[in-house]
Amino acid sequence: MTPVCAEIRKRMIDISMVSGHGHLPSCFSVIEILYAVYSVIKHDPKNPLWEERDIFILSKGHAALAQYCVLAEFGYFNKKDLAAYGAFMSNFGCHADRSKIPGVEASTGSLGHGIGIAVGMALANKIKKHKRRILTLIGDGEANEGTVWEAMMVAENLKLSNLTVIYDNNLSHARGLQIRNPAERFRAFGCQVSEVSGHDIAELKKKITESADTVKVIVANTQKGYGCKTLVDNQYEWHRKSPNAEQKNKLIEEICAETI
Amino acid sequence: MRKQFKETVMDLARHDDKIVLVFGDISVYLFQDFSAQYPGRFYNMGICENTLVSVGAGLSSQGLFPFVHTITPFVTERSYEQIKLDMCYNRFGGNIISCGASFDYAWDGATHHAYTDLSLLRLLPGAEVIQPGSRKELDALLRSQYNNGKMTYFRLSDYPHTIDTPVEFGKGVILKNNNASVTVMTAGPLLGNVLEACKGLNVNLVYFHTIKPIDKEMIRKFRNTDILVIHDAFGLYEAICEVPNISVSYYGLPDEFISCYGKLDQIRKHIGLDVDGIRGKVKGQISASAKNKR
Repeated sequence: MTPVCAEIRKRMIDISMVSGHGHLPSCFSVIEILYAVYSVIKHDPKNPLWEERDIFILSKGHAALAQYCVLAEFGYFNKKDLAAYGAFMSNFGCHADRSKIPGVEASTGSLGHGIGIAVGMALANKIKKHKRRILTLIGDGEANEGTVWEAMMVAENLKLSNLTVIYDNNLSHARGLQIRNPAERFRAFGCQVSEVSGHDIAELKKKITESADTVKVIVANTQKGYGCKTLVDNQYEWHRKSPNAEQKNKLIEEICAETI
Repeated sequence: MRKQFKETVMDLARHDDKIVLVFGDISVYLFQDFSAQYPGRFYNMGICENTLVSVGAGLSSQGLFPFVHTITPFVTERSYEQIKLDMCYNRFGGNIISCGASFDYAWDGATHHAYTDLSLLRLLPGAEVIQPGSRKELDALLRSQYNNGKMTYFRLSDYPHTIDTPVEFGKGVILKNNNASVTVMTAGPLLGNVLEACKGLNVNLVYFHTIKPIDKEMIRKFRNTDILVIHDAFGLYEAICEVPNISVSYYGLPDEFISCYGKLDQIRKHIGLDVDGIRGKVKGQISASAKNKR
């Protein structure tokens, strides 16, 4: 784990302890993905509505805390602002409201919605002959939703080469409706598919920047709770749990032990 | 009414290159002129109503004016959450144009009947809900609302009325004002039957093509009368009931699925929404109101 991603995780643990909220294991699986996305897309934190920007949508909206922390890291807002996470009248809810947070392009939370909006955005930019790229991050549990596959069919049918779908394969699906061999499934839908370690920033950046002839899918193999042994080993218990002070110290120690 | 939809959109598209059509494998043949003339702005996306709406929201987010079009129950009931979240909550509004109102597809049975759409969609913050009753109303309301950035729902019917009424978004229309003690209020194509049924009866008659926002000022004008809402759907009655301190009752749909097939007129007769059924109900209301006044 890189020092910057370790710091992001530590900040999330702090925020989760104070607020009593946070899907920590689900968030921890996507930190490197989010960091890689914002490292390579065209965007300007000082001008979030920059006309030439690319667009990223977090379709697995319950990882909003991870997106907030990464956006703060890139300078969209002050890291201290996140202290109000989940509080009454805070801008920072457990699922993001696009009208409140610079850098958040769609309000998500109900699963299987962000990807459909992303398909519409990609189509719009194709119609307008705009070079903007649209990227979305979906969860493997989210892919239980039929709308994910509807959207993929439509996107591939329209040959939306300006659309990149990143699939967080953190094995959330394992205890319920299982999606075996996701890469093969996306390939069967006609998408251009690659598979990477979802915690390898360099590899992620390479795959995100590769061009494609049609919809690009990056199956990012991740670990739910990555970076904290406690979260990895007890991910169901910790799905919506926030740590107390003692647990927080233990989680942070575990992160330090994993940091390069 | 679908022909009018096409004619109006064809005309609008000549001057507005932000119009994009997203169809759910319906009306494709009817719109072949449009698709030939504007191939980059016409998409038959197939039978995936949820994604039609989400894609419409995405198009809207990029400054385009989507027209999402398919069959009423599927685009409203199946895709309710997409309309609620992707279009309304995200404020990526667009036009949803449904076809197959109430019992237009009588012969297809209860799977294709649609009477909850108006009542459901009017509950969504920021939504506009329109039930045009005639081709003229559809034309005028499409032109005035299509590019306002809101989620605007247009409920098309294959059986429009031909009564010429003034059309202004959000405004009800007084068709009869006899200073009567009973006011009949209705909306959409059923006006044809209602107007015929009220002939010679001492009632006021008010008509709506906009369900949300409902014209509350118009309703308040008749607050001292007994209001009888006659409608072949849900939504109008509930909207009228939001005006406080009025006496209002509903005559329309029973609490059961209608599975007798046949044609629209046969179903209307079956549930008492033919001219005779409506006339009987209105006469009964006039008698009841007179008794109450004594």
